[in-house]
Amino acid sequence: MNAAEELKRLLPNAVVSTGIQINKPLAVIRKEELLKVAEDVKEMGFDHLSVITGIDYTDRFEVVYNFFSYGKKQNLVLKVILGHDNPEIDSLTTFWKGADWLERETYDLVGIRFTGHPNLTRILLPEGWIGHPLRKDYDMKTEQFVMLGEDGEDVVSTDGSKLLRRK
Amino acid sequence: MDPVTIDTTKIKPAKKKPETALEKLEDTGLINTVLAAKEREGLILFSTVDQIINWARLSSLWPVTSGLACCAIEMMAVAMAHHDIARFGMEIFRASPRQADLMFVAGTVTKKMAPRVKQLYEMMPEPKWVIAVGACASTGGPYHESYAVLKGVDLIIPVDVYIPGCPPRPEAWLYGVIQLREKIKNEGYGAKWGLNK
Amino acid sequence: METEELLLNMGPVHPSTHGVLRFKLRMDGEIIKECNIVMGYLHRGTEKLGEMKTYLQFTPYTDRLDYISAFPNNYAYAKAIEELAGIEVPLRAEYIRVLTMELNRIINHLVFMGSLLMDLGAATMIMWGFREREKALQLFEMLCGARMTFNYIKPGGVRDDLPDGFIPKLNEFLKDMEKRIDDYEQLINENEIFLMRMKNIGVISAQEAINYGLTGPALRGSGVSYDIRKLEPYSIYPDLDFKVCVQSEGDSFARYMVRVDEMRESLHILRQVVDTMPEAKIVAQAKYGIAPMTGMPSAVSTYFPRIFAPPAGEVYSRIEAPKGELGFYIVSDGTTKPYRVKIRSPSFCNLTAIPRMVVGLKIPDLIAAFGTIDVVLGDVDR
Repeated sequence: MNAAEELKRLLPNAVVSTGIQINKPLAVIRKEELLKVAEDVKEMGFDHLSVITGIDYTDRFEVVYNFFSYGKKQNLVLKVILGHDNPEIDSLTTFWKGADWLERETYDLVGIRFTGHPNLTRILLPEGWIGHPLRKDYDMKTEQFVMLGEDGEDVVSTDGSKLLRRK
Repeated sequence: MDPVTIDTTKIKPAKKKPETALEKLEDTGLINTVLAAKEREGLILFSTVDQIINWARLSSLWPVTSGLACCAIEMMAVAMAHHDIARFGMEIFRASPRQADLMFVAGTVTKKMAPRVKQLYEMMPEPKWVIAVGACASTGGPYHESYAVLKGVDLIIPVDVYIPGCPPRPEAWLYGVIQLREKIKNEGYGAKWGLNK
Repeated sequence: METEELLLNMGPVHPSTHGVLRFKLRMDGEIIKECNIVMGYLHRGTEKLGEMKTYLQFTPYTDRLDYISAFPNNYAYAKAIEELAGIEVPLRAEYIRVLTMELNRIINHLVFMGSLLMDLGAATMIMWGFREREKALQLFEMLCGARMTFNYIKPGGVRDDLPDGFIPKLNEFLKDMEKRIDDYEQLINENEIFLMRMKNIGVISAQEAINYGLTGPALRGSGVSYDIRKLEPYSIYPDLDFKVCVQSEGDSFARYMVRVDEMRESLHILRQVVDTMPEAKIVAQAKYGIAPMTGMPSAVSTYFPRIFAPPAGEVYSRIEAPKGELGFYIVSDGTTKPYRVKIRSPSFCNLTAIPRMVVGLKIPDLIAAFGTIDVVLGDVDR
């Protein structure tokens, strides 16, 4: 029995389906049950959170968590499906500290909000950037510029005349 | 096939190797000597103030340490023993822009970094020069289509020399430096008024 | 004594030789109370570009993530696509890949040692490190013409076979390198100042290191014997004999020692690869995508189709890059362009632990601890 099936046995209500994602057991879970699942996953020995990926499918968002267990030397992939308007999901920072920046990055670039995150701000792009670039409907035509404000922090504007030497 | 004829009048004679101190100075191309001076066995040298100042300026350019991306690693390679930028009197990379007169924009200038690069440039005292190193700093390079990258650093600060490459080889880098030295040689009020030539 | 707290800004252009990163430090006198990291000054939108380019067009962008060690980046991306599309790679190509990657690991650690010592105020090591690096770069130039950004490892194989005279030159380098590593250790390891700057600085326990998601030498320095080359063997690593270098102290010196030992192990691996390299001259798989042009069987570049479309699906594939776990999460929708490319970069995840590590230290110790984590900003910001 692989890890995903074990998870299904432990929490039959939380796991929607199980499968295999190229050599790695995959479990699709309900968004509401994420924290409960995370607790069990951690107890099962998955101590390394490799990566959090947010994917925009235009009609829905998917958040994918890749886990690895140093003890059992096993992989586990968790997938959560979110609605397209106002995607929100619980934060896993209480279980894995490494999730902190990964979640901030997903929020910054894909625009998925993580409730319960201690400091959910943009990480790569400056605060005030319009839109989330990795969404499929991101406006690539409008150029945005960053300028320094009075206090030395970033100010985002679509008008770059203060920064640019010429048009 | 026609035999190739060589027009011997077009071949320049090989340059004479400079021997005396005066000839060596003349060979640098920095100081104009006048024939009369030679006849007096080098006792008098004629030059312009511009040329003397330019000579001093270009002989010890101090770059500011402002590596941005991949090219910064090549900047380190240029500064190290193998390529040795110390030959041009520019081994002293200054950590503070206040003490530098040359900026290598070595790498991708992102939108977030752009105002800082501009600030860095404005903090440098006059006279100052900028070399845009690599495709990214020149035009945006491979990241031209990206939402987060400025399409060339010359949009925000004036650039004197562009070095192509991704990243440029150290040899290309040194060639760019030599080009800048050529440029500085002809700078000054005289050059502006067209009196230098 | 009562002191006032001071907010200190460091960066984004700062004297430490790692690139554009900004620390916002809350100081109590000399002591760091809190460290906030501001990044993104080199955020180039690589992941979005991945969606706009075809699969092969994206390979050069992977070079520019961790630009000190570009071969592992190439390989990680190629491996993800191979797993997604089920492409078999010829054995000789795998040998060449491992050869380049291990050579790149040595270079990465040389640059690491050089820049770490440079940050601490010792300039000799960077001169020495770059001298040897230059020799290895000449080997890379023979191989693919580039010094830093190679674009050499492609899905299905490598771009070209080893050139004539490559192996003798490599052997020369290996023989030379052996002695050089002894030199470095003699220069650095016993140095009193170096030890004082490194020992018991930036300590992180094994438990915490795992929780923060540290990987690579940063994790092995905390005593976790973990190496993807051993745990999830890929390429020809199962056939090779090498050991995982581990140090148990978890401080800056331990992380430094792990890297020095790894350089020796890489030399060991390289010698095995050279000895057992198969003779067959096939270096790329032609069985996917468009068939190679007829009449040009020797032109290897034609093995690589310009455009190909792997089947729809998702894959997360990871390798042990010199800095840690480098992974690519690729979503394919069956077209010629990836639907989503997510890069799990080791530098980004390793940096997470810095704010935790440096509380209670002084600013020069922050530089030392930050140096031993060994990040490249292109890899952090992507």
